[in-house]
Amino acid sequence: MTATLRVNNLSKTYGGGEQAVLAVRSATFAAQPGEFLAIVGPSGSGKTTLLAMIGGLLAPTSGSVEVNGRDIARLSRGQQAEYRRALVGYVFQTNNLLPFLTARENLTVVSAIGGISSKDASRRADQLLEELGLTRRSRALATQLSGGERQRVAIGRALMNDPELVLVDEPTASLDSQRGRQVVRSLMDEVKGRGKLGIMVTHDMEMAMLADRILEMHDGHVRERMKDLAGD
Amino acid sequence: MIGLLEIRRRKFQFALIALIVALISYLVLMINGLGVGLNEQAGSALRNFNADAIAYSDNAGLSVIRSEVGEATIAAARRAAGVTDAAALGYVAANYRSEHGRIRSAAFIGYDPGTIGEPRATRGRSLTTADRYGLLADKGFLKASGLKVGDTVDIRVRLASTPFVIVGEIDQGAFFFQPAVYVLRATWRELKYGDIPDADQPAASIILLKGKHIIGKGPGYEAVNKDTAFANIEGVSGQQATVVSLRVFGYVIGALIIGVFFYVLTLQKVAHIGVLKAVGASSFFVFRQVLIQVVVITGFALAVAVPLAFLTEQALQTLPDTVPIAFTNRMVLTTSALLFVTAVAGALFSGRQVAGVDPIIALGQQQ
Repeated sequence: MTATLRVNNLSKTYGGGEQAVLAVRSATFAAQPGEFLAIVGPSGSGKTTLLAMIGGLLAPTSGSVEVNGRDIARLSRGQQAEYRRALVGYVFQTNNLLPFLTARENLTVVSAIGGISSKDASRRADQLLEELGLTRRSRALATQLSGGERQRVAIGRALMNDPELVLVDEPTASLDSQRGRQVVRSLMDEVKGRGKLGIMVTHDMEMAMLADRILEMHDGHVRERMKDLAGD
Repeated sequence: MIGLLEIRRRKFQFALIALIVALISYLVLMINGLGVGLNEQAGSALRNFNADAIAYSDNAGLSVIRSEVGEATIAAARRAAGVTDAAALGYVAANYRSEHGRIRSAAFIGYDPGTIGEPRATRGRSLTTADRYGLLADKGFLKASGLKVGDTVDIRVRLASTPFVIVGEIDQGAFFFQPAVYVLRATWRELKYGDIPDADQPAASIILLKGKHIIGKGPGYEAVNKDTAFANIEGVSGQQATVVSLRVFGYVIGALIIGVFFYVLTLQKVAHIGVLKAVGASSFFVFRQVLIQVVVITGFALAVAVPLAFLTEQALQTLPDTVPIAFTNRMVLTTSALLFVTAVAGALFSGRQVAGVDPIIALGQQQ
């Protein structure tokens, strides 16, 4: 099964009264399996908030996020955890690896949470580490990895449970442009090759151009930007 | 899995926590050991009597010191319904001079050989009716006095000092917070009542009774079970209250410290918990990891604290003036189980914290 996404009039407000900040304003868009979307925009435009709401990490103030026809905002906390575990692979802006685990264990921990047998998890982790060029660093603790290596481990972790929806927040922030392009391309290969749906938040227009579609955010507003105009 | 891996990778941090828990456990064990030891000193001999009930004179208010029974009362108790055996026992506080020249007190107990009141000799031999000035000394007496079987000791009752030969060693325990010595009842009467004519002398202090349904009042006596008799030893109720208070405070303080430690440990891991939740871990999954850590740490701490407590007890026993600490398997098991419960209760405290961690807040993802 693959994920179809519909975001309808999605809004998020932080705080209340005069202090209220409208982070996302009536965002509406849809995406199909096999697509890779990029969300671009300046800092503070609401990109990460939008991604977190799609990932079931943050409750919207209004509107809905439907994944395969199910509004995830209406799920209970337990169901949201199940949604994140079963359907979503999330690469966080700061890779957020568990520092006391090795690169390989940071991947297999996801399977342990999902109750997948350790044998299958080990095979999958080894395969992903090889694809990400990290086989030789698999036994290194997260704290012993470079920024780029940590980011690649975080990508591996997101793909570990073979998710239908891959959400990536600034994946190239700690990578040089060449390595960044490589990482984004391998992510796209994984997403498109397996009919998944990928959404990447980035401020790097060069990376965004690699995506199928580009959504631009400004002061919480989302609008689709034609790719041939994106380079302007 | 993650919980155990974290312990493996952060050995020093977890070792320090385990050390603190071990010290708290050790403290609670020592307090409980003190309670057991004080109880033993108060009247382990009374608990060890080969009897189902103890009878006091009916006007003594269940005090061994005040109780004095005559031959008629002893005979009446022996004949009472349900009584299968009985033995008269005399008690008086005595003192003696130890090997080191210090004056010490002892419980001077008179019994009749061949009755249920006779203690079993573990070394030397038992008393016979010919041993007018022979005595059986409890091992606590021999340790405190520095004497051994075969030695002579001057026992002072009232104003008279009488030399006794220690013919045997027994292991009956202490009586009235004093090490006990056992002599013939006739000798006890002689020393306690001196020149008072036989007809006017009480025959014993208390009567040991064996049988069923024998608790209650009889002609001139009142019989109670050993627990009641123990609780009525002068000073025991106050001591018990003190020891129980110490135990309760020990558990409460232990619970608070252990609970707070695990709570702080959880607080330190909020970001990690957020990551786990963000990748789909339920609160229960995370809490299970915390619980595994608590069980491992507490188990490790007890594995250190229990032997350490036993070693301390052994070391204290080698001192001439022993601190009354004693451990029983039951007490150690109960204390260990309670400390485990305490630690898990502390972990439950953390469970609420775990449930409350919002992955997005923990990851600082808002923009």
